[in-house]
Amino acid sequence: MSYLAPETLEQALSALADPGPMRLVAGGTDVFPALGDRPLRGGLIDLTRVAEMKGIAARDGGWRIGGAVTWREILKTDLPPCFDGLKAAAREVGSVQIQAAGTLAGNLCNASPAADGIPALLALDAEVELASRDGTRRLPLADFVTGVRQTALRPGEILSALHIPVQPEGARSSFLKLGSRRYLVISIVMVSAVLWCRDGRIAGARIAVGAASPVARRLPALEAALTGLAPEALGAVTTPDHLAPLQPIGDVRGSADYRRAAVAELCDRALRKALHG
Amino acid sequence: MDFNTAAETNIFDRPKILGKAVPRRDGPLKTTGRAPYAYERHDVAEGQLVGYPLGSAIAKGRILSMDTEAARAAPGVRAIVTTLDMEAMPVPSEMHTAHLFGGDKVEHYHQAIAVVVAETFEQARAATALIKVEYDADEGAEFDLLAAYEKMKDTPVDPEVSKGDFETAFANAAHRIDRTYVTTPQNHAQMEPQATVAAWDENGNVTLWTSNQMIQWAKKAVAKTFEMDVEKVRVDSPYVGGGFGNKLFIRSDVVLAALGAKAAGQPVKLAMPRPFVMNNTTHRAGTVQRIRIGTDAQGKIVALAHEGTSNTLPGGSGEDATNQSQHFYAADTLLIATRLAEMHLPEANAMRAPGEASGLMGLEMAMDEMAEELGMDPVQFRLVNDTDTSPATGKKFSDRNFARCLTEGAERFGWENRNTTPGSRREGDWLIGHGVAGAFRPSPATTSGARVRLQADGRIIVETDMTDIGTGSYTIIAQTVAEAMGMDIEDVEVRLGDSAFPVSSGSGGQFGAVSSTAGAYAACTALRREVARRIGHNDADGLSFARGNVTAGAKETPLVDIAPEGEIVAEDKVKFGSFRKDRMVATFAAHFVEVGVNAWTGEVRVRRMLGVCDAGRIMNPTTALSQVIGGMVMGVGAALSEEIAVDTAKGVFINHDLANYEVPVHADIPEQEVVFLDTLDPVSGPLKSKGVGELGLCGVAGAVANAVYNATGVRAREYPITLDKLLDGLPEV
Repeated sequence: MSYLAPETLEQALSALADPGPMRLVAGGTDVFPALGDRPLRGGLIDLTRVAEMKGIAARDGGWRIGGAVTWREILKTDLPPCFDGLKAAAREVGSVQIQAAGTLAGNLCNASPAADGIPALLALDAEVELASRDGTRRLPLADFVTGVRQTALRPGEILSALHIPVQPEGARSSFLKLGSRRYLVISIVMVSAVLWCRDGRIAGARIAVGAASPVARRLPALEAALTGLAPEALGAVTTPDHLAPLQPIGDVRGSADYRRAAVAELCDRALRKALHG
Repeated sequence: MDFNTAAETNIFDRPKILGKAVPRRDGPLKTTGRAPYAYERHDVAEGQLVGYPLGSAIAKGRILSMDTEAARAAPGVRAIVTTLDMEAMPVPSEMHTAHLFGGDKVEHYHQAIAVVVAETFEQARAATALIKVEYDADEGAEFDLLAAYEKMKDTPVDPEVSKGDFETAFANAAHRIDRTYVTTPQNHAQMEPQATVAAWDENGNVTLWTSNQMIQWAKKAVAKTFEMDVEKVRVDSPYVGGGFGNKLFIRSDVVLAALGAKAAGQPVKLAMPRPFVMNNTTHRAGTVQRIRIGTDAQGKIVALAHEGTSNTLPGGSGEDATNQSQHFYAADTLLIATRLAEMHLPEANAMRAPGEASGLMGLEMAMDEMAEELGMDPVQFRLVNDTDTSPATGKKFSDRNFARCLTEGAERFGWENRNTTPGSRREGDWLIGHGVAGAFRPSPATTSGARVRLQADGRIIVETDMTDIGTGSYTIIAQTVAEAMGMDIEDVEVRLGDSAFPVSSGSGGQFGAVSSTAGAYAACTALRREVARRIGHNDADGLSFARGNVTAGAKETPLVDIAPEGEIVAEDKVKFGSFRKDRMVATFAAHFVEVGVNAWTGEVRVRRMLGVCDAGRIMNPTTALSQVIGGMVMGVGAALSEEIAVDTAKGVFINHDLANYEVPVHADIPEQEVVFLDTLDPVSGPLKSKGVGELGLCGVAGAVANAVYNATGVRAREYPITLDKLLDGLPEV
């Protein structure tokens, strides 16, 4: 088995182009457990040392989050309130040890329906940067994750960074997760909200729900319904119609009906949390 | 030492060290990594290779062939032993159900079918994956307890206990309930998986450094399995990272490591991967419990029926949820029956408080429902049905203070300020509820031996094959010996878990503390006699042992002067006489719980817990407290989240790791309060103490469940009470 630890993106991409099956790995917190008892076939390319994939940088009013950035780094970095939701998600991704090893990009590439990182990044309108030897392309996150454990990543491509666009002035955010125990739990459902106000009214909102459909989904009808509402009076705003994009399933963690009911409540809670802390 | 009559006043009634909050001796070792667990015994045998297990991919059937060619050629592989290499090995003991290895017959999913020995863990694991197995799976094997129950529930069975005419009394009762409760299978989820280092010597002796609760049982089981002389087996298990019954008996790690070591001609170590622990070893069987209670107008129970059904492999015993119902409450008539649903799930066997832990989940919810039917305070309903005699056996309890547990607990908890109308108390988004449950668990005792060695420097070494599975054995045995010999506890060294030491009770059934400390006391009594002889007395009567000295009249001799040229060794065991069986020796508790249930999502948050325990003399309030609060955590898990999910088509436990099998985390547990009643039970043993480790779990889940009902008005009779079971019935807000 070969284990490569490239230090530049170019080295990483050329290693990926070499014949023989090679897997990309960063924190390994999904890759290794998923192996179970099966041996690793082929080799590993460890992306954690790639210079271009490190660090969080403000850029053109937005932010570039390197593909090797861990949840812990998100938590440690001083970021504006619109990132509070992402930070809250960072605190809920597994244990502290997992947060120190696991990366945001890895969470996206693993594409679990219950990935804690995806709703918060969808609510931030994130884009992914996909590098290959042919150049770099960018995709909205919603187009990148295509199904249960399926992404638009092409052979030879590496998710080299996330881009968070300029957020509306005063944007605030939240993330809430529901599980049968209080912590260290695989989500039954989770919700992230980003919203902003003008002249005492909600001027816009982005709300995304995870673990209630094969891929985490935004709720455009709810977002539209919020616009123009007064934040002080915000009660139970989420209606079943708003949840139309979701297709929850029943599993060992909760029934489909329970998920549908819980999502509505969790959306309302996430909105209140974003507005009022 | 024969314990043939109730203990009279003895040295433990004026204790200097017994009963004190001595810190756990193994605590610093474990928290700093200096207590080696079985898989870390690197220094005990040179040249350890690594074994990796292969489990069956079907639940029932036969193995047609195993192709190991690719695995044998894999890097680092030194030996492979498959189940087809031999006939089925004998089932290790009468307490095992499935055989552990050998032959082509598969009895359950992940039964061990091969071990690969290699130079490294990674090599062994990778090579194991290369073994190709052809199966012939049986069609139509049963894996669904609820479906089996539906088929068998109307078929009459001979009751285990039938006292009076239950049916008539129930039919004529002024008030009655007839309910069915379900508990799902559970896993022990101890942190340390089963692990063993095995080494054979040139004379065919085998040593197993393993993780086990019952050393003598393990030694005999190895001999039986390998059809060898028991004296050629040594088992050593000084530190155990949790057992809870999962390590009462040897499991396939022992067999695979020993087979692998024999085949490789070198010591082998093997640890079970977590999914293998869940499916290869044992679990607590699920139960379906039908409970009928009838009372007179005043709430006295006139009829009690508890019928329990549980799953087991053919020939096993399942989970008897009915035991406590025979003894706990006064009942004029009784009907107790059990049914076993034979199915090919992994082996059902003992898990902490086997029987009562599940049975009280049913009975204590039924008691709550009956109290509501009567319009009675559930504490009062239990008090009305308190008894000093087991209704099933007619035997008196040796010492029973259950009523005190209830009344003192109610006062301390503020029970009078509880929510009395289900679903009516709100704090913001949270519905607040209060619940109570009683707890009962027998406190047996069994023969236990020890050896004490007075050293030339006045120190004492204690040796017994007793185990410390996190319970505090090291500490309470040191306290007992220091007390009996009048020494500083720092001068007592305790060595445990080696089959070369005298045979003890071992750890299980909450008999370990009572038995093993009495065994240590027996050895100390023999040593005191020998010391007396050395200073010219026939026996130790009239001598006093204190502050490291032995005093005879005016003459005081330091123990350090007793054996200046070597050591004095004394050994004895305690044997508990049959008089103990003339009484019911048992422990009792009352648990009080306050929960908040989110009115919108059904999230349950336990807010307060109080346990009041009646367990005789508490030998060490620190270790006893740890036992009870650990049990209470386990009870919260049983009530709210712990469920082995069964694939009823394949017979596989699906959520086979600690990410998916959800035990509570710290954030789920509020501050817990535990009160020990200051009681003494002279029938229990010379120290007048009783077990407490299993008591701490008993009844807890029922109290949580009753609190959830009280908060919401939703009676979820299928444990665990997960969020989705509450949602439909939550009150309108």
